[in-house]
Order: sequence, then structure tokens, then C-alpha cells
Amino acid sequence: MSPREQRIIAGIYHLSKDLGRHFSLTEINLQVTNGEFVFLVGPSGAGKSTLLRMMYMDDRPDSGQIVVGPYVSTRVTRKTIPGLRRMIGIVFQDFRLIEDRTVFENIALAMKVTGTQMSEIKQRVTKILTYVGLYHKRHDFPRTLSGGEQQRVAIARAVANRPSILLADEPTGNLDAVATRNVLELLFKINAGGTAVLMATHDIEMVQSFGQRIIYLENGRIARDREMIFVGDVRDRMEESSVSRRAEQLSDHDIGDEEKE
Amino acid sequence: MNLRTARYMIDEMMINLGRRKGANAIAVIIMGLSLLILIVFLMVTLNLASLIDKTSEEMRLFVYLEDGLEREVTQKIQLKLMGLRGIDEVSFISKDEALTEFRETLGEESDLLDELVENPLPDAFRVKPKRGYITSEFLASIAAETEKWEGVEEVRFGKKWFERGERLAKGIYIIDLALGLIIFLSVIFVIYNTVRLTVLQRRTTIDVMKLVGATNAFIRIPFILEGALQGIAASLLAIVLLTAIYTFSSRYLPGLVFMRRDALAGFVVFCAILGALGSFSAMRRFLKL
Repeated sequence: MSPREQRIIAGIYHLSKDLGRHFSLTEINLQVTNGEFVFLVGPSGAGKSTLLRMMYMDDRPDSGQIVVGPYVSTRVTRKTIPGLRRMIGIVFQDFRLIEDRTVFENIALAMKVTGTQMSEIKQRVTKILTYVGLYHKRHDFPRTLSGGEQQRVAIARAVANRPSILLADEPTGNLDAVATRNVLELLFKINAGGTAVLMATHDIEMVQSFGQRIIYLENGRIARDREMIFVGDVRDRMEESSVSRRAEQLSDHDIGDEEKE
Repeated sequence: MNLRTARYMIDEMMINLGRRKGANAIAVIIMGLSLLILIVFLMVTLNLASLIDKTSEEMRLFVYLEDGLEREVTQKIQLKLMGLRGIDEVSFISKDEALTEFRETLGEESDLLDELVENPLPDAFRVKPKRGYITSEFLASIAAETEKWEGVEEVRFGKKWFERGERLAKGIYIIDLALGLIIFLSVIFVIYNTVRLTVLQRRTTIDVMKLVGATNAFIRIPFILEGALQGIAASLLAIVLLTAIYTFSSRYLPGLVFMRRDALAGFVVFCAILGALGSFSAMRRFLKL
């Protein structure tokens, strides 16, 4: 893969936010560049979810600024928010799939709202479902799927519109070990395809084995930001991790960029 | 908004309607039944009004003439009567005709009249006021005026009875209006709440649509259409049930009046708007759309 120009996709600048009950986020600064994978780690209640919510601008900071692509939190309006959301993919712990829609329809909805042609939607959804390994379940309803499968559908929906950044809020929080590994692999694979990923989790031990950039959130501040070590180092670490190795193999047929470029 | 987006919105509505048949059916039944109360009430009001109208329309003023008047005098009185404001029809009833009528009213007991040596009844004019003029004040003023005329013996219109009827009608209208207001408000409340619940049940759908970047219009319009359709379905249900009630009860109440077609069409439109507004305001208030 050719080296890309480094460019900030999402930036948080001097952000403060009162979370209530004497909790708050103070002076948060962090930038995510294109194609980066970042773990946001901290105990529950540390404000990870709030931070992500402010990034997709469902919530506003008390002070400071968030910039995602061309969208600035201080200037965004109800009219411009849909545009912002289309360049962000969002995944939650509780999947948030629509119960009375099939797997296919859940993903197609994300593309329908952008006014994509039906033929293109069909093509794209087929491709993504194959990519996440659930094409055979396209006509099933979410409740008939396992947690891990539901989360993969949710991820498929999140990447349907080719977002530049994927925000994942505890995406493995409800999953067992095997499903967790599958979901992580999938996120790595998507990241390898060029999409930046910011994943919030409270599971410090799990993320430490991967060698990605980790941002520690403690007492409302960024306690530590372990930048991604230079590429060679990551490669070495990826060799160590079977999860990452598989992710790398899988990324050969990625979905993110071939059509974009 | 292009054509494709419009089609997707309609798709959304169809999926919403199709996938929750049970919930939708229950919503329509609840709304339909409460609308039935409203529409039955409207029909009762309509029938009351037409009954009161009909009763008062049968109101006649009788101008009794003195005995043995010249023909010209009688004619003059008739012309003067017809020249009065608010008079629709003036007909002459001779004393003989009056007696025949009286006989008919008595029926079998008309033998009693055979004993009479001469006809004691006077000649009279039966005066029918125009529709809008039937009030006790107007009739009293006519009576007072005509009674002064030469050749007029007496003018009668059942003043006491009529005034009592007028008061009763007024009372009925006031009660009807108050009741109508209460029913109307409760129906609006029921429909608003039912539609609101339908919207709230779809909270996830709406949240998801927001997250994937749907515009507010794209989220709202399918729901508003759905609310309107539910309103229409509920109003049609109410009309069908009303027709059944009407058919059944007109067996016992032959003069029963049914709602006019244009009123029914207006009712359907009203319910469609109510459903749409319910959806709209539910989304505004509870989902901050």
C-alpha cells in the first residue's frame, strides 16, 4: 500500500464538558489522522461515550472545538449535521439495529437516506455483507442473529457510505471472547482498507496487545497518548498478534477504497 | 428532494406499515372507536337540529276573523298579511273547512258535532312565516300588529308553548355544545397519544436514521404520511361503524337523518390532518426533530 499523505480527519481542541455528578472532561486535545487506528481507553463513566457523541455532534462541548472534516462543532447546524454523519460511521455496544428490518434492509437504509440509486445500493450491500461474512443471512431479522453477527451487521451499516472515520463505542462490550475477536479483526480489516477507526473501550488489557495508538482517559483528562509507533514496529507487533495477522490477510480484498480512488 | 428520495420515503412508510401490522391495527382501532364517539355525537346533534327545525317550521299563526265580514274586507286583510315582512304563505280557511278539519281531528267522536245547529267556528287565515323568522318575538309582534286591524277578531300562535319550546331548544344546544367540546378534546387527545406511541415505538429507527445522516425531512415525512394514513383508516372505520349503527337504529327511529356526504368527506380529511399533526408534534416534542 502506498504511503498516504497524513491529514487530520477529526480533531478535538481544548474541549471541556461537564458530565454531571462532579464528573467532567477537561482540556481534551486529540487528533485522528486518516487511516489511523486509535483506542480510547478509560474506566466506565470517564466520558468516552460523551466524547464520541460530541464527535458525531449529538452533543456539544461546553468549551473548545471539535472538527471533523469540514464540520466544526461551533458552527454546525441542524441542516449540516446529516452531511457530517454521512462521513462518520458509528457503532455501539448495543448494535442498534432496527428490529423489524432484515439485515439487508438495515444496511440499505443507511444508503437510502443519502439518495443512492437502488441498483448501487444492492451492489454495495451485497459486497459489504460478503465482506463481513453474513451474505447468507441477508434476509434474516436481527433477533435471529448472535450478538457477534449483529455487531458485524452494525459495522457493515456503519461503513456502507464509505466513511472517513469509524467511531466505535465499546463495540465488544456485549460480546463473548470469540465474537470480540471477530469484531476486532473486522475493525482492523476496515482500518487496513483506509478508514480511520476510533474505538472506545474500558478493556485496557485487551487493547495493549495490539500496538495501536492508545489514548488513556482518566479523571476527565487525557492521561497518556501512546502514539502509534512507527510503521516497522507495528508490522513487528502485527506479526506477534494472530488477530492482526489475519486482519492483514483479509485486507487484501478491502472494501473501503478501490471505488473511492 | 428528488424523485428517488421521495420514493424511498414512501418505501419507508410502507415498510413501517407492513412490518407492524398488529400494532398499527390496534392503533387504528383505538382511534377509530374514539372517532366513532365523535361522529355518533355529530349525527345525534344533526338529528336534534333537524328535529327542532322541523318542529318550529310547523309553527303557524292563526288570524281569526270577525263573523260576517264583507268579501272585500277579507281580501284586504289577506293582502295586508301577505305584504308583511317574513311571511311565506297565507291561506284562507273558511268556517266550513275548519269544521270539516275539526271533524277529522275528532274522528269517531265527530258525532258530537251533529248536534250543532250552526257552525260556531270563525273564518281564519293560516299564516306560515318564512324559515328564518320563526322566533317568539317576531310572531308576537305580528300578532300584536294584526290584532289591531279591522275585521280581525283574534290572533293565536300558541305563545306559551312556543316560548317553552324555544327555551328547551336553547338549553339542548348549550348542553350539546359543551358535550361536543369535551368529546372533541378527548378524541384529539386519544389520537394524539396513539400516534405519539406509534412514533415512540420507532425510536430506534429514528435514532438510527439520524446516525446514518438522514435529513430531518427524510425521517419526518414517512411518519407524517403514516400518521395521515392511520387517521384516514380510523375515520373510515368510524364511518363504517356509524353506517351500521344508523341502519340498525333507523328501524326504530324512521326519521333519522344520516350525515351528508360532504360532511363525511370533511371528517376524513380532518382525521388525516389530525394524524399527520400528531406524528409531527410527537416527533418534535419527544425526539427533538
